[in-house]
This record gives sequence, C-alpha cells and structure tokens, in this order.
Amino acid sequence: MNILESPHDLSAFRQAIRNWLAQVVPPDWKARMARASNEEYIAFQRWWMAERSKVGLAIPHWPKEYGGGGLSQRHLVAIADEMARADAPQNRLFTISLIHMPGTLLPHGTEAQKRRYLAGVAKGEVWCQGFSEPNSGSDLASLRTRAERDGDHYVINGQKIWSSNSMYADHCLLLTRTDPSAQKHRGITYFIMDMRSPGVEVRPIRQANGRAEFGELFLTNVRIPAENMIGAENNGWRVAQATLASERGVISFEGGERQRYEIEAFYRRSLETGAAWLRDAQLYREFVSFLAEMQAARRLLRRVLEESERQGASASVLPSIVKLSSTVLRQRICSFMVRIAGVDGQAFALLAEEPFGSPMFDFLSAFSGTIAGGTNEIQRNIVAERGLGMPRI
Amino acid sequence: MVTSAMETAGTLDQATLDALRESVTGVLAEQCNSTALHAFIDGKNTLDKALWAQAASLGWLGFGIPEQFGGLGMGAQGLAILHGELGRQAAPGPYIATLSAAQAIVETGGEAIGQAWLPRVSSGEVSAAVPATLDARGLTRSSAGVSGTLRCLGAADAAFLLASADDDWVIVDLAGAEVIVAPMWDRTRDMIDIRVKDAAPLGLLPDGAATRVALTRTMALAVAADSAGGARSITERTIAYMKTREQFGQPIAGFQALKHRAADLATKLAVVDEMVGHAVQRTVADESDADIWASLAKSEVTDACVFITTDCVQLHGGVGFTWDFDPHIFLKRARLNEVLLSGNNALRDQAAAALAAITMSGRSALELGL
Repeated sequence: MNILESPHDLSAFRQAIRNWLAQVVPPDWKARMARASNEEYIAFQRWWMAERSKVGLAIPHWPKEYGGGGLSQRHLVAIADEMARADAPQNRLFTISLIHMPGTLLPHGTEAQKRRYLAGVAKGEVWCQGFSEPNSGSDLASLRTRAERDGDHYVINGQKIWSSNSMYADHCLLLTRTDPSAQKHRGITYFIMDMRSPGVEVRPIRQANGRAEFGELFLTNVRIPAENMIGAENNGWRVAQATLASERGVISFEGGERQRYEIEAFYRRSLETGAAWLRDAQLYREFVSFLAEMQAARRLLRRVLEESERQGASASVLPSIVKLSSTVLRQRICSFMVRIAGVDGQAFALLAEEPFGSPMFDFLSAFSGTIAGGTNEIQRNIVAERGLGMPRI
Repeated sequence: MVTSAMETAGTLDQATLDALRESVTGVLAEQCNSTALHAFIDGKNTLDKALWAQAASLGWLGFGIPEQFGGLGMGAQGLAILHGELGRQAAPGPYIATLSAAQAIVETGGEAIGQAWLPRVSSGEVSAAVPATLDARGLTRSSAGVSGTLRCLGAADAAFLLASADDDWVIVDLAGAEVIVAPMWDRTRDMIDIRVKDAAPLGLLPDGAATRVALTRTMALAVAADSAGGARSITERTIAYMKTREQFGQPIAGFQALKHRAADLATKLAVVDEMVGHAVQRTVADESDADIWASLAKSEVTDACVFITTDCVQLHGGVGFTWDFDPHIFLKRARLNEVLLSGNNALRDQAAAALAAITMSGRSALELGL
C-alpha cells in the first residue's frame, strides 16, 4: 500500500492515513514506552520510521526527484493532524534527518550531495546537528570549532553541545570556523560530517528531566573530505539560516494539535473521575483560561503555516511571536499540572501513559521549548528589533 | 420569523474584511485623532456627536443588522471590525450599548420589535442603553409597568433601554425616564443611572432567556474587540514614543529590558487578536460552543488589555502619568471594559460549566478546523 498514490482527494487521503494508523499503531505503545530503556526506545523509533516508509509516509514532503512524495504543505498538515488525532508516535529520532537536513541540502547542497544523502533517510539514516558549543549558545556565530584545510580534506578540532540524538547519528550537520581573522559571521563553513570518522567522540548529556536526548561532541583531528562542504567556504552562516528556518511550521503545528488532544483527554478523565481540582474555582478558572490561550495559539500556528507559503515570509517575526506564546503557555500548563498533582506528582517518573501522568517530567521537559531553537530571550530581541523596529545598540 | 445575522451574513472573505477595516480606520484616524480626542475629554468639542453622525452616514451602525431592517448584514465579523477600530482610537460614543442591544434584538426580538427599532438604530436616529452588568437586578415588572433603578451603559440621550425586569426582557422608552449621567474615569463612554416608575414596556422580548444569551455573547464580543483594538493602538503609540525619548544618550527603545517588555506586549496582542477571532469565527459558524468562546474572549482579552495598557503607562515614564498624553485614556477605557457585562471570573465559571457539559456529552468544544 502506498498512501501517496492518489493525493488529489484530500479527504480520501486523510481517510487512508486514518485507516493505516488504526492498523499499525500498537494500542499499548505509550505504556510500553513509559517503561522502555533507551535502547528499546531507539529500536521503537526505527521500527516506526520503517512502518512509515512502507506506505510512503517517511519523506512525503520531499521532491519526487529525490525519492519523496512531492506533497503540498496542505497534505503535510493533514498527515500531522491525523498523527496527532490518533496519538501516533512521533519520529523524534529523525527530526534533523527529515526536516533540517533536507531544509539545508535542497537549497544549498550540490547535486551529488542531494543524491547521496537524501536517499539514505528513507532507509533509516539518522542525522544530528553540530551547531552550539559550550561557549557559543545564543551567540552562535562566535563558534570556535576549527576547520583547517589539508589537501583535499579539512581537519576539525573542537567541541559541540546540545546535539539531539547524536549518540545514534550517522551524519552531522556541522558548523566550523575556517577564517578566525574574519568578522565572526564571515569565517564560518558548513560541513557534512560522518559520525563514524576517527576522532569523533559522543557523550550523552543527562538532562534535568532524567533523560539523555542530547549529546556532546568532542572532535579531535577529524578529517572531512572537501566535497562534504555545503555551500562555499566561509559562507556557512548563510547556509545555517536555512537550517534554522526549516524548524518552523508543521512540527510546531503538530505539537499544538497533540497538546489539544492531551488536554482534552486529561479534562475528560478529570470530569469522569470527579477530580478534586474541579472543585477549586480558582484552579478551574485558570484551566479555562489555558483553553482560550491554547485555541489562540493553535490559530497562530495555522497563520505561520499560511504565511510560510507566501513570498517574503522569512522576514516575518510571527514564528518568534508564536514560539514565545506557545512555549510559555506549555510551561504554565505543565506547572498547573504539577500543582494539582500535589505530593503524588513529586514521585519520580519519566514518560507516562496517561496525559500529564508525570507532570514534573512534562514541566521540566517544557524548558526545551523555552530554551532550544533560540532562547525566548533571543526571540524577544528578534520581535523587538525586526518586528517593532526598536534600535539595536 | 427573523432571519439570524449568521444566516444573512455567512462568512465574509478576508479581502472584504480587510477593505472594510481600512475604510473604518481611515475615517477614524482622521476624525478621532489624539488632539481631537483630548479636546473632547476636556469638553472642548462634541466629537462623540460628530462621529455618531459620520458612523450613521457611512452605514457603520448597520454592520450587524440584516438588510431587511436597513442594515448591511455583516454579522459578528463586521461588528468585530467596527468595535476593534473604535477601540483603536478610543472613540467616544454609545456604540457597544447600542449595537449590542440591536444585535440581541436581531437574534431574539421577532419581526415587530425588529421593525420598530432596528431601522432607527441603523440610521443613527436612536441610540440604546443596556445594563452595565447583566447580573444587576434593578428593574421589576408588574401589571402597572416596569419600575426601578438601573446603572446602564449608554448615552444621556439614549432612546430606549433593553434590560431584564424580573424574569422578562423588555424594551423601555426612556423619553419619560429619569436619566442621570454618572461621571466616569473613562470619559469616552457614558454610564447612566436610569430610574423608571410604572413605565409601559414598548416591547416584550418573546424569549427572555434567549435574549440574555444573545446580549451576553454580542456584548462580550464587542467589549473584547474594543479592548484588543485599544491595547494594540496604545502599544504602537508607546513604542513610537520610546524611539524618540532619549536618556543616557540613546533612545530608550534600545534598552534590552524595555525591548523585551515590548516584545511581550506584541506577543500578548497577537494572542488576544486570535481570541477575538476565534470567538467571532465560532459565532459566525453558529457553533454550539460560540457562547463559551465569546465569554472567554471577554474575560481573557480584557484582563490582558488591562495589563498591556498599564504597562504602556509605565513604559512612558513620567509623561505616562500626565493628563496630556494618551496612555491614561486607553488604560481607563480598558478598566471599564474589564468590568462591563459581568465579572471575568463569573464568565470563566459559566464557560467552565458549559465546557463540562459539552465534554461529558462526548463532544468537543476544541474543534478549530484547518
């Protein structure tokens, strides 16, 4: 079966996805993952990617000439919507592979790079991103990982941090400094790095929420062939903008939809079991305020999608406004869940089967929204300077 | 049978709405600019009368009224634009009271009451008063007529009052009533204390409960839209001021502490606009959850707009505390909006009860469409 065979009828397309999800998503997947080890979780992610691949849903958004489905954004939104509705697993292990890598290679890669690397993702190759460094977080352009030319190779030395799933990655989107004397944005070069190269060491970073989704990369005399450069030497900053911009859109939309179903399931269960918080008028008021804000946030996420289809969308600060509102709302909702859970909510638990079943885990995890992808403080600078025209001093 | 505004209006496309907004904005920006508004507040002009006449001649007062009653039949979408733009300029006049009363009559008044009042509202001949808060129980009704005292939103020369008297909803002629204008901190709207004794009702609404629901929804949308427009406007004016005001040798707009606050205000404004938009969209689509989202739009948007307008005073510094600058006008308007119709927590409690009912019936109040 290939769900992409007749995409012209959007409602039939949706129905096909719905039918497939009903067959393939194991009803107990959340319960299993709640107890899973890291290895089991990764194996599950690979299994899910393989299942998606079988029906053409691994890379439906890529151009057909590179093995994708060539689908419109409307179809991607429909897929995301159906995945959220069915509470199907997310392909977190493959986020960089599916979004950032093609978002970078399609506009800036060579034909040979596109042919070689795009095809690998449908087969299960995992990508990670080597951008941030211990001393280059918000000030990303100050990065110091050095790349020096040596014949037809570059030799890399330095350290990268906050690289999602780099422990399992086959390739890395790597930003390096090639010209230390140039102005900081002008001496950066972008590479594809084979994670199996000698000199690459990855150590997982244990997070405050108990999990380890990020790795720290130690790079010692790693040799990268010059043909693995994306774009021109010292032009990496511009290429990186494509990587960063690719994060916007459908993923956030799907996150907003998932949260809607999660909250609705939580609310329904609270009503059915007569949860105590419903009898506290102040808490209940806070909850309905969240619902109003959530609906507004979902509408804003739809506006970002609409806008991204129009010309000149890259100048808009709406994605920053949406990130600010959605991530802070998420944090406040999770904080509310911690409060109503009382002492029981402080018992240590990781992923939970029930919606907000481990509120401290969710609350701590919500920092990945307010800190990752450009901290909310950086987003405020963007809104103020680019959106409101306030001077940069 | 009165055709509801939703049926007549349908959904207007974005281009029509944009053109509508532009036409209203243009007129108000010119006529109700800051100088004219300050002069009005100080009693040096009759801007409210001039704007009302202008609104009537341009058809604004008929935005929500179906064509059969002399209006333009643009429903909740048209009204939201009008109230949003009136809020933007803090325009003085009895728009929320009159247009909300008219909308409740459109939806629940029946043919005779509709024909008696709606064309006169649409033409600007009459304005209306409504109770400032709908939980107020000031009027009673006996065989002798309607009696009592009620604090209302409306102009001193309002022609009629739409209010509850005991369990009924009635229209009362104000020609013979005692009307006392209560001076308000917000000088852009009037509050009046209406006293009637054995007044013969000019109309008895056929289904009082439905009238209450309709008035609550339409007033909630109006107050929310007005607040959102006002908050956006004073935020823009505040940021413009911050770019010109220099301290420590630079425009204060360059200080990161202030930039971040401005960015947070811009984010809140984007959210409140969507809250209004969502409630309007559910109303136009005649969804069963429309009343929930209208009530929550009022509670959430007016709360947020009090925060925003308060911060705009502070971001202005000393001049923000003066009578001569704009922020206090918008802050006072936001504070009146906050308490109109019903307390915001009471609205949240009503919304919670309705949400629980929908959710327990196995339906969802969170549908949005794509």
